Amino acid sequence: MRAATTVPPTQHDSPETAGAHAPRPAGQPVVELRQIRKSFGDLEVLKGIDLEVHKGEHVVVFGPSGSGKSTVLRSINLLEPPTSGSLKVAGVEYGPGLPGESGVKKGKPLDLRRSVGMVFQSFNLFPHLTALENVCLPLRSVRGVKRDEAEQRSADALRRVGLLPRAAHFPGQLSGGQQQRVAIARALTLDPEVLLFDEPTSALDPELVGEVLSTMREVAELGMTMVIVTHELGFAREIGDLNVFMEDGVVVETGPRGFFDECHNPRTQKFISAVL
Amino acid sequence: MSLSSLPTAAAEYDWGIVWDNRSMLLNGLVTALEVSAVALIISMVFGMALALIRLGRAPFSWIAAIYINVFRGVPALVSVIWVYFGLALVLDISFSVFQAGVIALSLLYSAFLAEIFRSALNAIPKGQKEAGLALGMKPVRIFFSITLPQATKIALPNVGNMFIGMVKDTSTFTVIGLLEVVRVTQNLVAETFQPFVLYTAAAALYVFVAFVLDFLFRLAERTLDTPPNGALSRGLRGRKQRRIQALIDAQPSVRPSTAT
Repeated sequence: MRAATTVPPTQHDSPETAGAHAPRPAGQPVVELRQIRKSFGDLEVLKGIDLEVHKGEHVVVFGPSGSGKSTVLRSINLLEPPTSGSLKVAGVEYGPGLPGESGVKKGKPLDLRRSVGMVFQSFNLFPHLTALENVCLPLRSVRGVKRDEAEQRSADALRRVGLLPRAAHFPGQLSGGQQQRVAIARALTLDPEVLLFDEPTSALDPELVGEVLSTMREVAELGMTMVIVTHELGFAREIGDLNVFMEDGVVVETGPRGFFDECHNPRTQKFISAVL
Repeated sequence: MSLSSLPTAAAEYDWGIVWDNRSMLLNGLVTALEVSAVALIISMVFGMALALIRLGRAPFSWIAAIYINVFRGVPALVSVIWVYFGLALVLDISFSVFQAGVIALSLLYSAFLAEIFRSALNAIPKGQKEAGLALGMKPVRIFFSITLPQATKIALPNVGNMFIGMVKDTSTFTVIGLLEVVRVTQNLVAETFQPFVLYTAAAALYVFVAFVLDFLFRLAERTLDTPPNGALSRGLRGRKQRRIQALIDAQPSVRPSTAT
């Protein structure tokens, strides 16, 4: 990735040069992080992250545990508000802003989250509701859709992830893979601008990883803009339009498709060869 | 009453007086249950409010903590004397004995229930609230649709215990003349000089109520089982699942590629 700080905003429409295989999409990015920093007490876990995600792009963020991948993802919907830095989603500024840059009009976190979907490592389905109600609840309470229509749309969403027959089941009656697919359906029905995946397969039995990845593949094929934090580098290599390797709160190296075979940084190469 | 005045032979215990005065004793029990039930509802509302304030921001959380720690320590007997006589004396507010009993219990049990609700709310995994936030739900909606239903199920057995405690605490309200079980018993003892028989009957009534309440709260707990479990639970909550099942059945054919 070309750090946004090195590319003046006026040049965003110029042809991209970093992607040797496929040019990155031009135009206004859906998500734009500039110099995002985050500290927990004295510990700085993000040390100035720059990232641009364009419409329809599939961004993969990977790296060792504790590198700050999840924190980056969680700052995009302000579940983890940055200490400083600029966060722009769909053209609206939400973050605390860059130092010295004040007076920018800020959007509300609620509005931000209504345009950004998220899929969690631990699924976080609501255990007291059936699969259908899990999908239905945000449709009704966030979008204000009437019950009958919301249920119909939820049923459609569950069919898309292949779980319509399980619609009346509670999360406790579903396998981990099925729960995660319901969670994906739940996030999808709200038509987000971008869908965030926080290690969506890390809590799954190995044999259930495949079904979740194939659901994600289908979501990607629908043209959904996705940011995926994952340890599944095989999947990342296949799906990533932009690949971001992080360590110790900084972006070490980024690259387009083919990155896994062509990365230059020795640390990135070492990590990839250890995992793949 | 000194030991020497107690009847010495079993023949002198007149168990018949319990049956003869059953309606008085049961009326006393109904009064005790009424005071407790009204106080339980008030305590649940105030207890939940206190729990939320306690979990919220300082300095309000400190105020809630102080309230909880003070009123958990006050005995019901002291509380009711204070409400009934103290408030009348100091502020010239007079309550009926029923009202005084309800207020005295509510003051104490709001504090106990606040702690029960606080631990129940804390027991909900953080991811539940995060999922609600990430979906763009408002905090109030997250509370009522996600947190509260799960916390209720966790808190319910302890709320049942509290209710049994409340019924027993009404026995101290005899000091303000509330005609609950102990007051009725005392009045009958004064007439019949059969304290052993009558207090045994009173004890039996309390124990019986404790059994019944325990059973009812267990039943309520069962109905909240997920998935619905047992005839009662399915009867009360199965309708929703059947409606969803009907919706599924009405859908066009299920995508064949995914076997689950």
